[in-house]
Amino acid sequence: MNMQDELRRYSHFLAQIRQFFSRQDVVEVQTPQLLDTPATDVYIDSIAMQVNKAFEKKSKYLHTSPELEMKKLLANGSGDIYQICQVFRDNEQGAQNFNEFTMLEYYRLGFDIHQLMDDVVQLLTTLGVQGRVSKLSYAQAFFEYGDIDILNTDFDALKIIAKKQGLSTEFEWIEDLQILLFTHLIEPKLENLPLCFIYDYPAMQSALAKVEDRVSQRFELYMNGVEVANGYDELRHASEYRQIFEQETAKRATLKKHTSSLNKDYLTAIQSSLPECAGVAIGINRLLSQID
Amino acid sequence: MANYSTSQFKNGLKLMLDGNPCSIISNEIRKPGKGQASNKVKLRDLITGKTLEKTFKSGESVEGADVMELDMQYLYNDGNEWNFMDPESFEQYAIDDNAMEGVRGYLVEQDMCVVTLWNDNPISVTPPNHVMLEVVDTDPGLKGDSAGTGGKPATMNTGVVVQVPLFISIGEKVKVDTRTNEYAGRT
Repeated sequence: MNMQDELRRYSHFLAQIRQFFSRQDVVEVQTPQLLDTPATDVYIDSIAMQVNKAFEKKSKYLHTSPELEMKKLLANGSGDIYQICQVFRDNEQGAQNFNEFTMLEYYRLGFDIHQLMDDVVQLLTTLGVQGRVSKLSYAQAFFEYGDIDILNTDFDALKIIAKKQGLSTEFEWIEDLQILLFTHLIEPKLENLPLCFIYDYPAMQSALAKVEDRVSQRFELYMNGVEVANGYDELRHASEYRQIFEQETAKRATLKKHTSSLNKDYLTAIQSSLPECAGVAIGINRLLSQID
Repeated sequence: MANYSTSQFKNGLKLMLDGNPCSIISNEIRKPGKGQASNKVKLRDLITGKTLEKTFKSGESVEGADVMELDMQYLYNDGNEWNFMDPESFEQYAIDDNAMEGVRGYLVEQDMCVVTLWNDNPISVTPPNHVMLEVVDTDPGLKGDSAGTGGKPATMNTGVVVQVPLFISIGEKVKVDTRTNEYAGRT
């Protein structure tokens, strides 16, 4: 494909996404990309920069995802919203990881994760994605592809399994070992599945998703074994966010990673709490790489 | 010996794993969206020759292996050991027959080989890519088949058996590719 065709294809692709949301009355938004507080995710690092050097010394951070800024809008009555934007992450490694990539993030009020997964399938169908859709809970995936009862295996027992497979066991927390086992034992088995949703993650991997009955209401979409999307039934209350931010910041400190003070602006902005909603982030470049 | 962090991993780096020196063949980094990056590494065990796969979390360090590869001249075999000489220091190394698996048939006296030393002890030998060997036994070739379209097995002076063109006869010297055990010409 020559340059012009390639640009046209991408432009058409974005237009199709916008059409899909417009038809459903989901509103496109743009939120700030240069933030005062870095992300607290344990394994996502913000890119920091000094601004206003001429008259003050101030650090700002490129957003790693538009999530929190969009949630401020949701908490203040925006209704269903979506955004297509560049996001920036430091210390990304691997053939499929970049310091800058394009993300589509959207939130639907009143949806649970299963409704949101169905909606993602509709979006992908609109974009020309074909193929059988599989849905497996995290526990099922581990039973089926790894013969491991992941929700009932403790840290020490998981270490023994990992060791037998030649995998590292040098972990501080069980969720990191669960993720490693998933990446190296389960993900390769998903390569034959064009569209596979994994849902109901262990509570320890809940991130910003609700936890019910020991599992977090969270899903990921794998296309031919490549992680493309990550969705949550979103936490609603400032107190819950505060707790997660503090936990993540403590873990970052344990790992001697950069930390910052509590994101009070965010907690204040969502004081009235988020509406019941589910949201998903889709890596646009990865998605495109999986279409034809 | 120094430790190496996963960020220093590259092909050919020598590490100690399960008590044996190993050499990195490939190194693939994977980072899940929300998780920690990890390095999936393929290595060759330099003692057993076996390939193994290990996965490290990014940032983990592993002990390096004191492995050196030196060009040495093959001198002679005294029945139990194979003797080599470092042409720079004139130091001689006697290598146990066990370390010679798969290469015995390609060692020609005076040839330069690569000898791998671990903690200064030789653990393996890599012969040159091509060696000249003498045919000591083969069936007579068919007359007129000088195009060499067919082939026949021939036993070399070192004991190795190589498929050679039909026109090759006993007493001739042939060039053999030591990586593939294939005939590679007559000069």
